[in-house]
Amino acid sequence: MTAMGRSGGHGGHGGGHGSQRDREGKTAGRKKFFVRRRKVCKFCAEKLEYVDWKDVKLLASFIPERGKILPRRISGTCALHQRKLQTAIKRARAIALLPYATD
Amino acid sequence: MRLYDIVVLLTPDLSDEEAVKVSAEHRKLLTDGGAELVKDEPWGRRKLAYPIARKREAYYHHFQVTAEPATVAEVERKLRLSDQVLRHLAVRADEELKRAAKMTERLRVKAIKRPPRPPAAPPPTETAAPERAAERSEP
Repeated sequence: MTAMGRSGGHGGHGGGHGSQRDREGKTAGRKKFFVRRRKVCKFCAEKLEYVDWKDVKLLASFIPERGKILPRRISGTCALHQRKLQTAIKRARAIALLPYATD
Repeated sequence: MRLYDIVVLLTPDLSDEEAVKVSAEHRKLLTDGGAELVKDEPWGRRKLAYPIARKREAYYHHFQVTAEPATVAEVERKLRLSDQVLRHLAVRADEELKRAAKMTERLRVKAIKRPPRPPAAPPPTETAAPERAAERSEP
């Protein structure tokens, strides 16, 4: 995805070769958009294969204010670990370690 | 024999000593049924994430046991009948732990099989991206 965004930006750069000011403005804008940290699955990175449903501290880091489960697209968790995380969170909710919903 | 995680929530109406006593009863229930305790941890009085039966707190107690399924089923039945137990959860743990151990083992073997790369290789895209950005800003 990043590569595509970049190549598009490159084309724009070549086209807008006219004035110096124009170019600088564009680069600044691009930086704002593309300086983005690559998301890595926390469980893969730390080699945590077993997601413990009793570990409130760990699970709570995937629960935003509202009490919902943080989606993969935000947290960067891989599919396998998101699935494990999901069951762990649901178990923790059953014994009131985590909320079902908060408002 | 299977490995189980059992967490029991007791009413906050009990005093600390009473809670310990009730947990001791549960322990006896398990051991009498032929269960072997692996872990036996009181988590103490904790705030609940949401109210259960109008209670905002509960005494948590965690048992990890190896037991026959019938034993756990019987203990669960008794826990459900008890007025002092707000809620409980018994989950089989051995299969998930085994799978997790297998995965860790596979990761370890994979890391050994690939000696040219250092074990803790930095993510490639993160280093590649700034280089490309630098190239572009030069001309």
